[in-house]
Parts: sequence; structure tokens; C-alpha cells
Amino acid sequence: MATETGRDRSLSLSSPGRWIEGLSDTQFAYLLLTPCLILFGVIAFWPLVRTFQMSLQADLLYGAERLGPFVGFENYVELLTGERNAALPRPFFDPSQIFTSALTVTIIFTVVSVFFETVLGFGQALILNQEFRGRRWARVAIILPWAVPIVIQGMIFFLLFQPTIGFLVEPLQQLGVFSSTPQANSVESLVIVIVADVWKTSAFMALIILAGLQSIDRSLYDVADVAGASKFERFRTITLPLVLPSVLVAMLFRTIGAMRVFGLIETVSSCSTVPSLSCLVVQAFSSSRYASAATVAFVTAAIIGLVVSVYIVKFADVEGGGGF
Amino acid sequence: MIPSDGDRSRAVDRRRFVKALGATGLAASGSLAGCLSRGSAGPQTIEIAANTDVKENVGEIQAKLHEVGLSEDIELSAIAGVQSSGSRKQQYNRWLSGNLERPALFMMDSGWAIPFILRDQLVDIAEIRPELATTIQEEYFEPFVRSIEDRTGGLYGVPLFPTTGAMLYRKDLVKQAGFSPERNNWATEPLSWQRFSEVTKETMQATDTRWGFSFQANSYEGLSCCDFKEFTGSWGGSYFGAKENLFGPVGERPVTVDSQPVVDATRMVRTFIEGDTENALESVAGDISPRAVLQWQEETSRRPFSNGSVVMHRNWPYAIAIAGAEDAFGRDLGVMPMPYGVTEDEAKYEGYGGTTSSLGGWHVALNPNSPKREMAFEVMEAMTQPAMQLFLFELLGWLPPRPALFETERMRQVPVMGRYVETLRMTVENSTPRPVTVAWPQESTKIAQQANAAFSGDGTPSQRMQTLKEQLQAIEEASERKDAAETRGGTGGPSPSETGTATSGGG
Repeated sequence: MATETGRDRSLSLSSPGRWIEGLSDTQFAYLLLTPCLILFGVIAFWPLVRTFQMSLQADLLYGAERLGPFVGFENYVELLTGERNAALPRPFFDPSQIFTSALTVTIIFTVVSVFFETVLGFGQALILNQEFRGRRWARVAIILPWAVPIVIQGMIFFLLFQPTIGFLVEPLQQLGVFSSTPQANSVESLVIVIVADVWKTSAFMALIILAGLQSIDRSLYDVADVAGASKFERFRTITLPLVLPSVLVAMLFRTIGAMRVFGLIETVSSCSTVPSLSCLVVQAFSSSRYASAATVAFVTAAIIGLVVSVYIVKFADVEGGGGF
Repeated sequence: MIPSDGDRSRAVDRRRFVKALGATGLAASGSLAGCLSRGSAGPQTIEIAANTDVKENVGEIQAKLHEVGLSEDIELSAIAGVQSSGSRKQQYNRWLSGNLERPALFMMDSGWAIPFILRDQLVDIAEIRPELATTIQEEYFEPFVRSIEDRTGGLYGVPLFPTTGAMLYRKDLVKQAGFSPERNNWATEPLSWQRFSEVTKETMQATDTRWGFSFQANSYEGLSCCDFKEFTGSWGGSYFGAKENLFGPVGERPVTVDSQPVVDATRMVRTFIEGDTENALESVAGDISPRAVLQWQEETSRRPFSNGSVVMHRNWPYAIAIAGAEDAFGRDLGVMPMPYGVTEDEAKYEGYGGTTSSLGGWHVALNPNSPKREMAFEVMEAMTQPAMQLFLFELLGWLPPRPALFETERMRQVPVMGRYVETLRMTVENSTPRPVTVAWPQESTKIAQQANAAFSGDGTPSQRMQTLKEQLQAIEEASERKDAAETRGGTGGPSPSETGTATSGGG
């Protein structure tokens, strides 16, 4: 009896096993991905849908209910036409206030910081890709800022530009670069935030680009040497095309990160001085204007989605289908 | 043969993979559960979201609470929280909106407790402990209690300690410059801004001190709620007309930030910072404050004073405890009420003029989701004991919320702070709470931005105040419209003028 029961159990246990064995490679891959996709759906898509739903309701400032009645796209219309600016700490978009409008500040921050991070990161990666004595230490030195927690990083730059505390304020003022109170000025504060971001995140770019550089087949350079190519030609015809997919992936990640910037601004400066889109979301939320916060959040997500799509569509041919 | 072998080996790999995945998942969930359960507080521990002072002294505070009647088996555990009050508000908002059970108690800034009350996110003590609520409402500083009440007399927390703006100064330096603070009784007879600025300027020059007057003018809540409100109030001005409009009705009250007293106050600060500018206020001496005040909050402005680089410094009582300590300035620290621009009789708006201090301070409120409500109440009750309040004054420099305690000999004998009890009492008596309504978070941001810009010379004071007026009016209108819609829906339709009063909240 016992043996028979055991055999029955092994038979019943083996059927899912057989079913798994019968799957094609693609089906098996999707089977393994299913839990991940479900989890991803719960933690990413549900909040997105819920945020959108909230953004279609009115702000409600009293009572236990957080949201008012359904108002359709009124929040979006008011946000984009500037009518909602009164409820926000800084305007969403106002052409007369480029450096204090959330949309333009976010775009300026993203474009400038990603540009400098890519250029510096590329340079650092090229250096790290060379064989030289002490390369290991150089790598550590370049990567170190990436390991600094954002609050410490923010504090460093906050204090550097505090009059009577930081040593940079007076020399920069004498050089005419900054005023005596850079953190009371939106333009100067934005520059400080960008410098802080570039200081830290160039290392991240360098890491990803370095990985791309190291995957280049060295024999290609030997062929180039035989063909008598100059250093620049080697870079233009071998290094750049082969490393470009890695650079684009790195830029994509950084662009997404930069468009959501919040913590760095809060620690280095303030959301009132350097308002980003995420700043508006957080501040509207903490003023109990949940629908307005959801609207700005959804618009931010849409803008990021748009930028990502441009990257993917525009550079799909460059990339060749391997990375994105 | 070869393909079949290959299939078998792959099948085994898959099975192993799935088994391994299951085992890993179980192990991971087990360890995650372990992590979560490790974080929970003991059954008799009441967690309070507070500040670093409480966190560092929680042992002594708990011992005193036990001494004044808290059950010995209840323990107190403190979460230090972030230093910035605004960030702490956001943190609480996230916790309470997420219906978290912990912490049971919150130390809440009197400046932003009302929005939580209007959201039904705090427990009404008047309902559960009416006798305690009555004692508080009868015996505590009245304007302070109002910042944790609703219109119907509900009390949503235990007032812990009020704070008011006061002027700290270096008595040794002003004496060296030939002034006599004691003979002229600066401690309780406020100076005019004119006299104050002249004294400051002369002392700076006579004693070769780097700066005259430091305060907080960063673009943050502290500027709109406090420093700027003190400056404007002392000139008889106000953001929203008479004092009775402080708490609303939103949308119906006048916006008066462009009135002459407010513009004059702005010009005065501009003169303090830049001296002889285009829009200088003639009656005050200029060039006594560093431009750095535009970036300074409480601590950043206090440090230069504590370092000896400043003659006069506007701050809260905690700074008195630090600067007046024996190893700091000791008895060389003087404290006086905030100076005035016009007298109360000359003030344009009723309730302003004369020495004006902003009223801040903190309350202890109860999390409605806490399963430890009874124990938390016990802690709150113990905190209302006069002995506890005197102890906190002694330990942390927290002013008692009961005026009667200012009369006690014990309060005067407290080292350092005891020397300034008369002045502190005067500042609390002449204090104005901040105008907290549902519209205040947005209004506060705009006020701080425009005042900071005007102080920095980015636009003239009158231009900036005019822009501010337009912004505040837009916020008031936007908030009124929502209120009217909401209340009409909720109560079956009183008139819009009635609904406006709903915004008074803490009123």
C-alpha cells in the first residue's frame, strides 16, 4: 500500500515537471518571467493607473476623504494653461520665469547634466581602459563619488556654498562667477545642483561605458594598426561605433534619473529655489492637494515616457537590438 | 541518442532550477519576515515621533514621566525625525495618510497641525478625556491652544511648549559701546527699530564686530510664518488685514501685503542688508546685516552669533539656552522683545503694531490608528503635569504652556533660561500665531519667495509685494471655490459665505 501511494504521489508530482519539460525554450522563458512580470505590474503599473485615476478627480482640502469629485481632464488643462500655478509652489511652465518653472528647470537640469556626465564619463572610461601603473587606484578614485550617499553628497555641496562656512563662496564671488549668496539665487543654485550631480554621476557613466569598451574585440585594433590607421581614425571607426550602444544605454538611464530629480535638490538647495517636476509633486502632495500632485506626477511620467521612446526609436538602428 | 541526452540534462536543469527558486523564495520570505518583526517596538513601549532633543534625553524624560504619575511599565521610545519642520510634516503626512499604526504619538508643529485636524487624522481629546481638554483650554496660553483646536472646541493634542521670537544680544558689546541695557530696561521695554538699528550700528563700529544683526531670511516657512510676519506686524501691517482674519475666512478676507506698513517693513530689511539703497527706509540705520541672511535659517544664523561675529540675533528660546550657557556668553547674553516700528495705536490693522513675536511651538498629538491608545493617553496626560513642564523647561529650555508657571520661583531659578523669564513671558503675551488655513502651505511658499526676492534686491519692495498680493488672491480664490463646493456637497448647501468660515479650522 505504502509503495503504491508513493508511486501515485511521484506520478502526480511528475506531471507539472513533464509539462515544464514539454515547453519550448521561448515558452519556458516566459514562464520564468511571469512572476517577475506580475510583481512588476503590481508595483509599477497599478500605481501608474491609480495616479492617473486620481488625476481625474478634484483636490479636496477638508474631511477624511482625500479626493473630490470626478472632473475629467480639468486638472491637466489647468496645469498646462497655467491656471493651476497658484496652487503650486512654483509655476509648471511660465516662459517669463524659465529658471523658476518646473518644466524648464527639469529640462535644463537633464540636458546639461546628462551632457557633461556623458562627456566626462566617456573620458574617464577611456582613461580607465588604458593599461597603466596604479590603474586600480585610479578606478577607485573615479568611482568613489558614486558610492557617496545622496544626503552626504547634498550636505557637502550645501555647506561648500554657505557663506561663513564653505570656502568656495568668497573666491567664486571675487572671480565674478557667483554672488555672495548663491543659494538664494535660482540660476546659481541650479548650477550648483548640476555640478553636484555631475560630480557624482559621471562615475556611473564611466562604469557602463567602460564595460562597453572592454567588450570590444582587441584584434580589431591590431587590424587597424596593420592598415596604418591614426589614433583618431581608430577611435572614430572602431571604438565609437562599438561603444555607442553602451553610451546610449547609460544616457537613457541617466536621463530617466535626471528627469525625476528631487533628493539632490532638497539636500543641496531647496525645491522653492530650484523647482523640478518631482518637487511640484511632493510639495502639492504635502499641501494635501493630492489630485494636483497626481496630475503633475502623471505628466512627469508621460514626459519621461516620451523621452525614452525617442531614445529607443531613434537609436534602435544604432543599437542593433541587443541592449534596450 | 545525443538529442535525447541533451533533453534529459536540460529537463533536470529546469527541475533543479524551479526547486532552487522555490527554496530561495521561501528562505527570502522567511528572512524578510524576520526583518520586519525585529523592527517592532515592545508591547509596553510608546513611540513618539519627536526631535533630536527628545531622542537624546529620552531616558531622563521617561524617568520624570514615571515620577509625575505615568505607569512604571510604560516605556517611551523616541524617533528623532528630520531637523526641518517642513520635512517632518511631509513625513507625518505620509505616515498618517498610509494609516500606519506607529508611532503612537507625534510631536506636531503648531504651524501645521490644523491641516491634519481638518483631515480627521488626529484624535479629539475633548471627546475622550473632556476633563483634560477643559484644563488645557482654561489654563494654557490661549493663542497657543487655538493652534490645535477646531472651531467646535475639539482639542486634537496636548500643547507641549510654545516658542516665540526674541532678540538676543551681546550685553558686553553694547555696554562697551556706551549703552545701558539694564538702566533702560531693554528686557521688558521694547526698542523702536530706529533705536535698535542705531544701537546695533554704533556697537558694530565701536567694538569692531563683523556684523550687527542676524536673522532668518532664507526662502522657507520660517521667513513667512515668523521673521517676515514679525517685521510687518511691528510696523502695524499684516498679510490679511485685522488680526481676526488670521484663520480665515479664506477668499473673503482682504489680502493686504501691498499696504504701506508691509512695504515699509520690507524696505527696512532691505536697508539692514544693503544700506543706502534706492528704496531705503530713511528712519533706520542701514548696512547692519550680512547678505548671507538670505540663505540663513535658524542654525546657520545662530552660529555666527555664537562665534562672536554678531551683535544682535533674532531666534527662538532654544538659542537662548545655548548662547546663555556658562561656557558660552553666560550673563553677557541679553534678551529683549522684538523691536517695533509703530505703536499699537498707530497700527494700520487692528491687533498689530508694538513689539510682535511670532508664536510657534509644538504639541503632542495621537495617531488614531495606534492600537496603544490608552497607554499613549497616559503619556500625554503625564506631559500636562506642571512638574513635567518645569522639568522640560529646565532640561531643554521648552517654555511651559501655562502662564501661571511663569510666576513660580522655581522657573526663575532654572539656570540660564531662568534669567530671561520676564522677557519670555512678554514675548508670549505679545505673540501672534501664524495664519494657518488650508491655503497656508501655498501662501507661505509664495510669501517666502517674494519676501526673499525683495530683500535680495531682485525687484523693488513695492513691486514684489504687489506680485505677492496677486498670487495670494489667486490662492485664496482657488481655495474658497473648492471649500464651497466641498461643503455644499457635504451638508446640503449652506451659502458660500458660511462655507468660507469652515476654513478657519483652528480659529
